[in-house]
Amino acid sequence: MMEKGKISTAQMGIMMYPTIIATAILIVPAITARHAKQDMWLSPFWASLIGFLIVYIAIQLHQLYPQKTLIEYSEEILGKFLGKVVGLVFLFFYLHTSGIIIREYGEFVVGNFLLHTPLVFVMGSMILVCSFAVRSGVEVIARLAEIIVPVVIILILANIALLIPDMEVENIFPIMGKGIMPSLRGAIIPQGWFAEFLLIAFLLPYVADHHKGKKWGMISVTTVMLTLSFINIAVLFVLGGITSRFIYPAFSAVRYISIADFLEHIEAVVMSLWVAGVFVKIAVFYYALVLGTAQWLNLSDYRLIVFPIGFLLLLFAVWSASDLVELTHFLGHTSPFYRISIQLGIPLILLFVAKWRKRASHQKVTQQG
Amino acid sequence: MTVKKEGNHMFFFKESKKKIVKNQQEQQLNRNQQQPNFLSADLDQNLQKLQQIYQNCMDIVFRQFKIGGKTKAALIYIDGLANIEEIDASVLDPLMKENNDAQPIPVNYILEERLTVSKVEKVQTVTECIEHISGGNPVLLIDQQSEGFALGLANWEKRSIEEPVGESVIRGPREGFTESLGTNLSLLRRKVRSPQLKTKSMKIGEYTQTEVVITYIEGIAEQTLIREVEARLRRIKIDGILETDYIEELIEDNPYSPFPQVLNTERPDIVVAGLLEGRVAILQDGTPFALVVPVSFYSLLQTGEDYYERFLISTVTRWLRYLFLLVSLLLPSLYVAILTFHQEMLPTTLLISIAASREQIPFPALVEVLMMEVVFEALREAGLRLPKQAGSAVSIVGALVIGQAAVQAGLASTPLIMVVALTGIASFTIPRYAAGFALRMLRFPMILLAGTLGLLGIMFGLLMILTHMATLRSFGVPYLSPLAPIQGREMKDVLLRAPLWKFNTRPSLTGTDNLRRQGPDQKPDPDYGNGKTSRGKGGL
Repeated sequence: MMEKGKISTAQMGIMMYPTIIATAILIVPAITARHAKQDMWLSPFWASLIGFLIVYIAIQLHQLYPQKTLIEYSEEILGKFLGKVVGLVFLFFYLHTSGIIIREYGEFVVGNFLLHTPLVFVMGSMILVCSFAVRSGVEVIARLAEIIVPVVIILILANIALLIPDMEVENIFPIMGKGIMPSLRGAIIPQGWFAEFLLIAFLLPYVADHHKGKKWGMISVTTVMLTLSFINIAVLFVLGGITSRFIYPAFSAVRYISIADFLEHIEAVVMSLWVAGVFVKIAVFYYALVLGTAQWLNLSDYRLIVFPIGFLLLLFAVWSASDLVELTHFLGHTSPFYRISIQLGIPLILLFVAKWRKRASHQKVTQQG
Repeated sequence: MTVKKEGNHMFFFKESKKKIVKNQQEQQLNRNQQQPNFLSADLDQNLQKLQQIYQNCMDIVFRQFKIGGKTKAALIYIDGLANIEEIDASVLDPLMKENNDAQPIPVNYILEERLTVSKVEKVQTVTECIEHISGGNPVLLIDQQSEGFALGLANWEKRSIEEPVGESVIRGPREGFTESLGTNLSLLRRKVRSPQLKTKSMKIGEYTQTEVVITYIEGIAEQTLIREVEARLRRIKIDGILETDYIEELIEDNPYSPFPQVLNTERPDIVVAGLLEGRVAILQDGTPFALVVPVSFYSLLQTGEDYYERFLISTVTRWLRYLFLLVSLLLPSLYVAILTFHQEMLPTTLLISIAASREQIPFPALVEVLMMEVVFEALREAGLRLPKQAGSAVSIVGALVIGQAAVQAGLASTPLIMVVALTGIASFTIPRYAAGFALRMLRFPMILLAGTLGLLGIMFGLLMILTHMATLRSFGVPYLSPLAPIQGREMKDVLLRAPLWKFNTRPSLTGTDNLRRQGPDQKPDPDYGNGKTSRGKGGL
């Protein structure tokens, strides 16, 4: 075993929470609002269906190959050559996606807070911080998530509570005025984020109490869904019809907070605590990538390649888009299909082949017997 | 493939060669240590041997005399380590006035009827003799006897039991450990009278031969933990240990970390509290500081007094301590970050007054803060070593340096003086000096990060520190537990200090062998006993 640490399923569920939320509260509300208008709070519910499905697939695959990660069992399911090809596709996908996540974070910080700091420096220092966590293994990332997640949740709830004076409940009406379609179309983008739940396929082999995997996976999806929905409602109440005109609606809403002329302009505090959430997100992606690469290359230890891959991540973050407009366009148009085809399509094929193979070998055994 | 195999073989060979050499060395060492050097029946021969060993030691006394005027005998002790009055009264007096005519005098007769000393141990080898003599016990050798008697008359100058300076309390026992191991063990024994309190002794230090005692409560402490502590102590091969810090540094899990992974304390009640939670304590002769392992970070933020005050008070004090922990780590860096990057966060009036006071300052906030923090640390360090007479002079000068004079000279702004002073005070609210020091040290990199990336930099710094702390373990126990990994049940002792009648179980990471701490119904109940209560009977 390359990873000696063990985590609990609860820790896995907690880790996945910021892994989805952290960047889903940046651009996604705006894109959802563009399609769903005042029904944007419904979209996370539809989108989460993909999350439940993927958790189910990952658990099924895990039960067939309990000790193996996605990269390892795709080799077993599809044979050496095809398996390696699929593994490479996954690794490249995670490299690219991590690059995009880092770029999203970098663009957000540089665009709003550190206007004069070079983007590469902001992204590079984050990768460096994450690489230390990744080097320390899955146990440490899980523990960090346990500390950070309560902070993130309190932050979200506190911000929503502080925004109450600025909320206008009428913004939500009419509910489903144009039927169910707008909210469904608004769900297309967030489902790309829910698809990231496939990452549990990298964590499940290191979970001590497997049998609870499904339960905690589902709890995690549900909390993510509720959180996103709450944020969308809050944003909708505060900003109303103009939500889609903002790049980062949730953070624009935070700017409205002003209590007693004292508690105001807290964006910087919100940003720095949000960075802790992004840290967990990048660390989990980075960890899956490093672990998968090491397994793909049959290395005996993944720690060796943490820094080289970190450098590669920085390059991909720089290459992934030329500017924020291009990035937003990619996230709003191409990425959902790209994400869904790899994170849902391939695992689904893997599951079918694995089941079919199992049945075939089972029949063989019964025929022989 | 063959090449690889050969390589492996070579490697194995090298390894085994190293092992052989090591084994030889160890065997030699063992031979030197274990070769029995028995006392002979001839007194002169024994004395010659000992005199040779104690050559050029002017503090050793060889007192030769005759028992009852006939049998030759000698008493060997180190001047100043033995109680001379007792020797005169209970050994020399009865033996020299002896009038038994038997030849040779029977040993049992001397033991049972003559020596009025309570603690007598028979010694058979020269090595044992030396151990006792060095420990302060006089050794009595008698002609025609191949064994000697070590008399428990060791007595040397000791400090009396005082209140520990570094860990004073308002409510709680005021006794502290002293430099004498015997006294310290007696302090523990007075608190835990159960014979389950075990004390295992070993000697560490080739030259100092310092006595080190591992103590634990059998049935609470886990066997694996005790074995691990013993194994780590036995690994130590060093010329001498002068303080338990030597042990601490040699048994830590992560020697490079700024955070202490072992708790040191001068207070017997804290040691006993640790023992009752299934921890193991290490005491050393010659220092009042005992070690307790394993610890987690939050236990370094607790004081004994937390448990001696009403639980609401203790809970509030704890939260105050957590707040000031953050202040001591973050306040100067927040000052830098806000003044350099996020001015909009301050209310306008405050911003204007800060800007006004900074008008005269020629330095950027980063330099200003770094300068004053370093000055503060220097004053603190100097204050520790100052002779009492010079102390007041320096504190006056110090107050000027970090104070009004610095402001008037245009070197620092008034808000900064506040920040520095508050940070300095904050770090002393952490009860463990070493933990407080670690945080004080870490605030310098934090200031630099805040100066380069603002709040984002502070967040990076915090994340790095958290990552480091999440990797740390103290004797297998995760350093951040019970926060991460979360142990819900134990949060009552972290986020709160729950009332004592709620502490039904021991911490699950150290006390698994014997989880139940008290009976289930310990909540005070005025109706209990007069039949009105519906609850069951309490008790273990």
